[in-house]
This record gives sequence, structure tokens and C-alpha cells, in this order.
Amino acid sequence: MMRLSWPRRAFLWVANLCAIAFLLLPFVPVVLGSLQSERSMQKNVHALLPEEYTLANFRLILSGGRSKGPIFEQMTYLPKSVERFPAAFLNSLLVGLAVTLVTLAAASLSAYALARLRLRWTQALFQVSVVCRMVPLIVLMVPLYVLFRRYGLLNSLSGIVVAEFGLLLPYAVLILVPYFSGLPSDLEDAARVDGCTRWQAFLRIVLPLSAPGLAACGVILFIISWHELLIPLILVSRPEFMTVPVILAGLVSDYFVFFTLMMAICLLGLLPTLFLVLALQKYVVRGLVTGALKG
Amino acid sequence: MTPGAGTDRAESPVRPGGAPRRSEVSAGWLAFLLNVPTLAGLVLVLAYPICFAGYLSFHEVSIRHLRAGEFPFAGLANFSRLFQDDVFWLSLRHTVVFVVASVALEVVIGLAVALTISDERVWLSRVTRVLILIPWAVPPVVNGLLWSFIVNAQYGYLNRALHKLGLITDYVNWLGHPRLAMAAVIVAYVWRTTPFNILLYHAAIQGIPAQIYEAAAVDGASSWQSLWRLTLPILRPVIAVTLILRTTFSFMVFDEILAITQGGPGNDTWVAAWYTYRMAFQPPFNIGLGAASAWVLAVIVGIAAIAYVKLVYRRVDYA
Repeated sequence: MMRLSWPRRAFLWVANLCAIAFLLLPFVPVVLGSLQSERSMQKNVHALLPEEYTLANFRLILSGGRSKGPIFEQMTYLPKSVERFPAAFLNSLLVGLAVTLVTLAAASLSAYALARLRLRWTQALFQVSVVCRMVPLIVLMVPLYVLFRRYGLLNSLSGIVVAEFGLLLPYAVLILVPYFSGLPSDLEDAARVDGCTRWQAFLRIVLPLSAPGLAACGVILFIISWHELLIPLILVSRPEFMTVPVILAGLVSDYFVFFTLMMAICLLGLLPTLFLVLALQKYVVRGLVTGALKG
Repeated sequence: MTPGAGTDRAESPVRPGGAPRRSEVSAGWLAFLLNVPTLAGLVLVLAYPICFAGYLSFHEVSIRHLRAGEFPFAGLANFSRLFQDDVFWLSLRHTVVFVVASVALEVVIGLAVALTISDERVWLSRVTRVLILIPWAVPPVVNGLLWSFIVNAQYGYLNRALHKLGLITDYVNWLGHPRLAMAAVIVAYVWRTTPFNILLYHAAIQGIPAQIYEAAAVDGASSWQSLWRLTLPILRPVIAVTLILRTTFSFMVFDEILAITQGGPGNDTWVAAWYTYRMAFQPPFNIGLGAASAWVLAVIVGIAAIAYVKLVYRRVDYA
């Protein structure tokens, strides 16, 4: 490769710094906001940095509103979202894991058929998945609400799982099919010559080989499930079944909530997926690219 | 014919030269069995509800009817009410503004960042590359709350920063002004969704062989020329993909609207999904009207989806 001239190098450095600022700058107010008391935020509305830092917001949320400390002791009103946060976190986790496992299982079976057993109708099914992936969620929620009401699936975690399964299934198929197609078929062929059935070849050869693809798909499914607001917002009205996005949305209509507390709860709500994306970046990147550009 | 020939014949178009196997289901049956869970999911949770939405849109459906379990036939009443509702048309107009502005920004910023990080020779671009997906990891509703704090009139950090820089003397009520409120939602949304575009552009740029640029440089092309004459034309397919995908998804923006403006000030940031949500799931809980509006949206998005299939998945060789 040719060496870069210094003006060009300088330009790319500045461009990179701008890109980094674009990506990270919005986090600064969240962190600063979450680390101060409401009084310190109101005291000087022109100050960029808080006068004193405190972890009281996090302590309050993580204890479900019990550990008040000196800052919140005088408070007669606490947002309900604060009390509900630990339970909602658990709900989100349960729903996310269930959706990921169920969707991954169904999608991998079907993706193998679509990738390896090329029949006219499986190819059509693949295109149907592409269209289904783009079904607008709000369009789906109106009838799902009526149906779930009729079949008693409102206000339950399993109802949320069913709806998210339907929403995510086509996308999971889109991510996995190119992945399975890209696997060399030599090993499978050898196993078949040795007398394995297709099903056995799938279980013993293809699935173990495609662990990275399944990981990529799985982590994306979990993240989307963790982010999902509209499905639980519409299907659930009882606090014990609310997920993290729903209680966060509850802060919107809560006129007494403080931004400091809100930013702390936001940070806690985004940490799990942020951690997953940073830790499993390689898989997330691959899954997102194959899911959009068929590999 | 040998006993094994029947199964072999069925699978021969799929896998020529396969040896005869002991009792194994045919490829067609296996494909069907493997697809049973997916087909069930697609039919029960996607296809049937969408058809049911069509049914609901021709019936009167409110809380009272839900309790009674009977939906009286309403003919085209829901649609005529929908098309006579000024707020619906207003929401569609806002949606168009939102989609055009956000998709344009996503593509331009996405390309700019992707080109910036694709040069291996700058050490810093490796750092940027690690950070790219961070906004994508933020839950949409959190993103909305985060920006609602940033642009808050009293305590927001946008006002604080602009004041510190001496650009404003009095704090601006960003969400109190129709245009500024829309701009705030667009900025928040674009921040979260652009990483997806950056990622796809970056992947596509990395697939371009370096020799092409070297040959262009030998022929005397400036880097500006190779950007316009080489890189962008090569990226055209992936840009088209992101245009369609982002258009359909931003058509459905909901979380940021809910968290930042709730449609305000007045009706100035009502968009399509917000309209449907408010009609169907907030007082007056007119689910029939919501279903009608949902169907109109589905048709609009369906057209984009079919364009996407035609463009990307037209030929069925994936690898």
C-alpha cells in the first residue's frame, strides 16, 4: 500500500475524531446526569460538570427503591418505575432468553432446509421471510392485541415471547440461511456416504460447525428482544409482567421524575446490550451484515 | 427398480449422485418437517393476524365490543373516517418528512464514517471501528429518554453546551417549536440507526480490491476522483439496500416519538405509527380505526419490501 501524504493523514485523523465524537458524545450527559443529585443539577443550570458526584441514584434503583440514603430520604414520592426495575430486569432477561432459544431452534431447522434442500417452495419461503421481516410491528400489534385478549395471552410473559418469536423468526432465517449455504458440504457428503441420514448429518455435522453463525444470530435476537418496547407495552398492563423498556416508557408520563434518576435507570437499562455488543462484536457484525446482504 | 429407488428419485434433482440410503425420508418431506415450526410461526403470528387486521378494519371494534366479543360489520366506515381525519394526513406528511430526512442523513453520515474508518493506514480508525456499534446497542426507548434530557429546555446539556460556547444567551425550548421538535426526534433516531449503515458500507468497502485504486492512481486519478468514479459506483447496490431497509424501518418510528415529544408540540410530531397507537390503544380505543390505518401503512411498506426482494434476493444463490 502507498504511504499517506501528511495532509491526508491529518484529515483522516480529524475525520476519525469527529466520528468518535458522533458515536460517544451523547453518552456524556447521561453519565453526568446519573452521577449527580437533582439539587445539584437544578442549582446551576449553566454548569457543565456537577458540583458533587454521587451514586445514590444507582443505589436507589438497584435496591428497588428501598435504599434511599440522605438524598431520597425526604422524598414522599418515588416513581413506580424505580420500584419495579429489578423485577422488570428479570422479566426482560427471561423473555430475551426464551425468545432467543425458541427462535434459534425453529430458524436453524428451517434455514438448513432452505440452504441445503433447494426445492421450489423452500426458495419461495425464503423470499416470504424477506417480506415478513419488514412487516411493520404496529400493523401486527392491532390484531395481535385482539387475538391475545381472546385467547388469554395478555398480561403474561409467554404472550410476549410468542409475539416476539413471530416478529423475529423471519429475520433469524435470513441471517442463518446464507450462513448454512456458506458451509462446505464435503463433510456432510462424507457422512452421508458413511450412512448418516440427512437429519443425522444436520445434528452431528452442520450444527456443531455452525456454532459461530448460531451465536451471531442468537446475540442479535437477544438484543432486539431486550430493546422491544411496543410488544410488551401493548400486551401487558400489569406491573409484574412489565419488561425494562415498558417501565422506562412509564417514566415519560411521570411528571415528577427527575432527570438524574431517569438517566441512571437508562444507563442500567442499556448496559446489558452494550456489554453484549462490545463483548461479542465479531458475531454481531457478521450477523447484521449477512442478515441484510445475504452474506 | 430397487426398493431404495423411490426415495432416491425424489431427491435426485436436489442432490445428484447421492448413494441409496437406508430408510430415510425424502428431501421434500424432510424440508417440510424441518419447516413446520417456522411455518406455524409465520402463519399463526404473522399471516393470520395481518388478515385478521383486514377483518377488523371493516368492523366496529372498541372496548365495549371487545368485552361483548362481537364486532358489528361497519363496511368502509373506518376507512372513510380515517381518510377524513386531518390528523391522519398530517401524520403521514410528518412521516414522509421524517423518513426523507432521516434516511438521507443515515446514508450521508454512514458513508462518511465508513470511508473514514476503512483506511487501514490510520491507526485511529481501528479505535473508531470498535465503537461503531455502540449507538445500535442502545434500546430505542432509552435513546429517546437520553435525547429528551439532552434537549430539555431547563436542564438539558445541549443548552448548557451552547451557552458555554457563547452561541446562545437564553436557553432554547427545543421541544416547544414544531420544526425544532421534529429535528430533535430525527437527530436522536439517526444517531441510533446510522451504525447499521456504517457497518454495511464498511463491509462493502472492505470487499473492494486495493489494486483497483492503485491502478486508478497510476492512471493519474486523484483520491477525490476515485471516490466518485470508483467507490461510490461500486457501493451503489449496498446503498440501495440500506435505502429500502431504512425507509421501511423509519416509516415505523415509534419509541423515540413516545420518549421525546409524545407527538407534541400540539400534533406537530405525530407520525404514522404514533397515530395508529394513539387511535387503537389510547382513549378512545378505536381498534377498528387503528386496524384501517395499520392496513394503509402495511400497503405502503409492502411496496418497499417487494422492491427489496426484487433487488437483493432476486437470484437464489446466496454464497
